[in-house]
Formats: sequence, structure tokens, C-alpha cells
Amino acid sequence: MKLRTTQDNTHELLDTRHLTESAYVLRMSRRGLQFRSGQHILLGEAGSIHNREYSVYSAEQDDYFEVLIKEVDDGLVSKQLKKLKPGSMLQLEGPLGFFTIEPGLIGNAKFLFVATGSGIAPFHSFVRSYPALNYKILHGVRYASEAYEKDTYPSEQYVLCTSQDKKGDFNGRVTSFLESNPVETDTHCYLCGNFEMIHEVFEILERQGVPPQQVHAEVYF
Amino acid sequence: MKKIAFKTLGCRLNQYETDALASRFHKGSYQLVDYNEPADVFIVNTCTVTNQSDQKSRQTIHQAVKANPDGLMLVTGCMATNHKQSLLETPGIDYVVDNDHKTSIFSLIESHFRGEHPDPEGFDEDLFSYDPAFKTFHTRSLIKIQDGCDNFCTFCIIPSVRGRAVSRPVNAILDNIREVVDHGFKEVVLTGVNIGRYDYDDVNFEQLVAKILELPGDFRLRISSIEPDGFTPHFFELFQHEKLAPHLHLCLQSGSEAILLKMRRMYTAREFRQLAEQLWDRYPDFNLTTDIIVGFPGETEKDFQDTVQMTKDLRFSHIHTFKYSVRNGTRAERMDGHLTERIKNQRSAVIRKISEENKHLYFNQMMGKPQRMLIERISADGIARGYGENYIPLRIKAKDLKRNTFVNVKPERIHDAKEMELWAKLL
Repeated sequence: MKLRTTQDNTHELLDTRHLTESAYVLRMSRRGLQFRSGQHILLGEAGSIHNREYSVYSAEQDDYFEVLIKEVDDGLVSKQLKKLKPGSMLQLEGPLGFFTIEPGLIGNAKFLFVATGSGIAPFHSFVRSYPALNYKILHGVRYASEAYEKDTYPSEQYVLCTSQDKKGDFNGRVTSFLESNPVETDTHCYLCGNFEMIHEVFEILERQGVPPQQVHAEVYF
Repeated sequence: MKKIAFKTLGCRLNQYETDALASRFHKGSYQLVDYNEPADVFIVNTCTVTNQSDQKSRQTIHQAVKANPDGLMLVTGCMATNHKQSLLETPGIDYVVDNDHKTSIFSLIESHFRGEHPDPEGFDEDLFSYDPAFKTFHTRSLIKIQDGCDNFCTFCIIPSVRGRAVSRPVNAILDNIREVVDHGFKEVVLTGVNIGRYDYDDVNFEQLVAKILELPGDFRLRISSIEPDGFTPHFFELFQHEKLAPHLHLCLQSGSEAILLKMRRMYTAREFRQLAEQLWDRYPDFNLTTDIIVGFPGETEKDFQDTVQMTKDLRFSHIHTFKYSVRNGTRAERMDGHLTERIKNQRSAVIRKISEENKHLYFNQMMGKPQRMLIERISADGIARGYGENYIPLRIKAKDLKRNTFVNVKPERIHDAKEMELWAKLL
């Protein structure tokens, strides 16, 4: 397997920020790595043959690099990475992907970001990288405690949809919210999270008349 | 003079790289011989896209080692990159060269025959500095414009063995095409891993194609396999140019929206359908061929029927059907719902049958419509065979035909052999 294991792609773990019992943010040294908000990386412990894909959580202008990780019950890498201490070395490949915003649209177009769970990560990066962005976020989680760092977003631009408690802004799934709150057809829609949500939201947006060219998706598995 | 033989498995990009290597060895005073003949050097350019490709690559290597125990055996390509260590431990293999060092094979072999013990990884990594492939095994000249892929489809091992997307400089491509056209090639085929993502110094794929079409000379340009994302309306306009062949191998993979998402493809089935309809609105006889993967993890009968419907609706004249094959390290390997070989075989047979039916339909549609045929070979009985611009295999019988020349023909009837062709007459 062609895995680039040279020192060039190793980054030092600076800090682990635990957001919930199972979700955490890894902050690592940037080392000049360029990326565009919305892209993802392949991340693993230095020297390990195992890695996983994570969207970049930090902003393009930050002097560090962050990813938001949700620990998977029977997962391997998400558990390994959680145990690492500051000073540990991480190995990353990337940045990768095309889930990005055309620069010309920033400040000139409306955006809707729909996320489930840790799928909020690329939107966190968008919002922090591009202050002029005209956006609304729908964040679908089971419990309000999973509203990862929601203070990042002005309350009028963030809708927390909770399916298992009533502590969110909307009680129910993001799909239910969208059904009862149609999207204006000139909105650029970015979807990130589990594939069932994305599949359903694609259908809803199509019914509401949003052109498919304005709908972008990043699937988390 | 030393004799050298090549065997290539897999894609057109591999074929291009073999052609280019063969040209380099020919220029270096090696005699190219058929793979079944004794030779001093054997080079197997392998493929690893499916399990079957791995098996074929291994069989080919073993057969060559067995038939020529005294010949020097070098294995390269994607399977060599993916399974380097196990190949190095295989008796009879002298060198294993990964894709990044493939361009250095001539230097490596020369070094070996000087009595040195070269390390393949001691040469510079280089993806593009191949010689022009004059000594090709085909009438068409393959031109490599990029390598690698950043899409990371969940089923695909190729980003791991070909690396990140890298584009070849525009001027190097244009110079290469000028050289092969001057050398007499009449058809140029663009190759790479994901050519639609070509991007060099702000020149994208469409702009590159436009530049190639401006080059002088009597040649036609064929875009080979391409991913159906990132096209603009300008892309469709390019096909008005008489040099650009009206054919695309546009990789669909599945007609199910759910499966396309799970595959992490960059388009929806709806968008693909729109793309095909836009092409046919402008060019009713445009030829679309495609790839389909059947039996992807979690593919339900409903998902499969969506694919069946789409392959019928879009009338792909050829469908390259793959049974899903687990590739280690890919995301799909860890997905639930892996299907049995029995189901994959059944679904594969259904798609293959549709492919044959579609081919019949398309060939009938093209009956009587003039084609500019490039003659690729002429058999002893005087039958010339080649392809028209729409990538229809044609055969004609006439006097004074010459290989590697264009002739204007009109298809008249189907030649229904193992590989369907159209009989045509000269205009």
C-alpha cells in the first residue's frame, strides 16, 4: 500500500479537547499545510498502517490544524487517537476532496449547511474561515448535549434539531425541519453527515425546486 | 541485440506506459518480441483494480517465469505497487518497480546489464517523463495527461496505488501530440486516472482539449474514460469540432442514488441522466459507453433495478460490468451488507445482456450514417477493420486500402460474430 510515511506528513498533537464523552477535537501543528475549508484528511497515529478520513474543523487562517472526531463503538482509529497525549505524533495525508465553496460566492450567495452529528466539522471550518458568509446551519443530533461548540455560530443562524430530547431549537430530525421550512431555490446547500440524511435531504431539496448543481454532499460512514 | 517482451494488464494508462517504455527500449537497440517468444527481459505491467486483476497479474507473472527461467523478470504497475513485498519474495522475479519509478525502467535494466545491482527506488520519482510512444502496439496514440486521483471513491484502491492527482504540463502534452501526429498517428486518445480533473497552471480539462483541437494536422482526438462531474456547457460545445470524436466512456457505476452516495461518487443519478440528455439533444448519435459495478455492499434489489432501468434508458452501447470486489484499506471494505458471489454473478449477467441489446440498438441507429473510419488492420483476405469516429467497430472489403489511413464509409449491416461489428462500404 502506497502510504506516505515520511516525516513530511507527521504533525505533533498539541491538545485534545473533549466535547462529550465520545466526541473530541484534536489540535495539531499546522506545519504550513494548506487546505481549503470543507476538505478532509486521512489521519492516523504516526507509524500506524491504519488511518481514517476526517474533515478539517479549524479555519484556513488558524496557525494550527483541528479535526472533530466521534468515537465509534467498534472503531479502531477513533479509539487509538483518543488515547494519545500532547506531544504524540500524527500522520496525515491530504488535504483531499472537493466539498468546498467557490470563492466568488462568499458574501454573494445564500448558504444552507445541513449536518448530522460530527458532520458539523466542515461547516465549523467554513464559518470560521469566511466571516462574510451568509448562511444558516441545521444541525441534527440525538441530544442537545451533542451540539458541538454551538457558541461558534450566532443563534439566529444555527438551528439545533434534536430527535431524542426536547432541548433543541426544533424537536425532530433535520429532514422534518426542512419539510416544514422550505428552502429558497437560489440557496446553495451543503450536506454533511450520515448517508440516510443526505439521501433524504437530496429528495426534499429537489421537491422544493433547488437545482441539483447547488446541492453538495459529503457522506460520513 | 537483447530481446525484450511486454505484457500489459488493465487500463489504457497502463497501455500507454507500456507503449512508451517499449519505444524507449526500441530506441535503445532492444528488439521487441512477442510475449510468447523467448526474451532476455520480460516486463509485466500489472493491474490491481479488482481481485480478478490481481489474480490475472499473478498468473501472468508465474507463466512468464515458468516459460523463461533464464530471462530477467521485472514486474511493475498498480499490483506491483500494492503488493510489492509479496512479489519481491516470489521466486523468479528480479525487480519490482512501483508506479512512481516506472519511467526509470530503461535506466534500471541498462544498469543491471552493466553488472550493477540497481535499487528501483534509487531512481527519481517521475510520472510523466516517458518517451513519445512511437513504437506502440496500437494504431491509436495514447497520451498521458495526468496521473492519480483525489476522489477516494469508497470502493477504489487506485488513489492508494497511483497517488494524488497530478497534471502534466500543458506544453509537454501539446509537444507530445505534435510529435506523434508528425510521426503519422491519426488518432490521439487522452489517458490518465481521472482526466476530467486535469488542472495545470489554471488550465482545466476543457481548456486543454480546446488547445489540442487547435493543433494542426489530420488527426482526431478521443477522450477516453472520464468521470461525469465538473462539466460546463462549454464542454458540450467542444464536440462541434470535427476533430473531437463524439464518444465518451462516462463512468456511471450505479443507477441508484443511495448506492452512488455510498460509493462517494461526485454526482447523482439525476445529474448523470441530465448530462446524457444534454449531449443527445445536441448530438443525437453521440455514443455513450460506461462502467457499472454490481453487488456493491448494501445494494438491494431495488437499487439494482434502478441501475437496470438507467442502463436501458440511457442506451449505453457498451457497458463494462464489474462485480464489486473488496479492496483492502478502502472504506467499502468496512461497510455492512456484502453480497454473495452468486448474487453478483446474477446481476452481472443481467447487465451484460442489456449491454448487448443496447449495442444492437445503437448499431442499428448508426446504419447508413457516414463514418470516417481509421483502418487499424487488414487481414490476408483483404478485410480491413477499424473504428469510426463514434467508436463503432467497422469492417470493409475494398482494393488498395492502407493501414493507418482514414476512409469515408457507410455502415450497411451487422456482422454478428463474437464481437459485433458493422460491415460498411466505401463512399
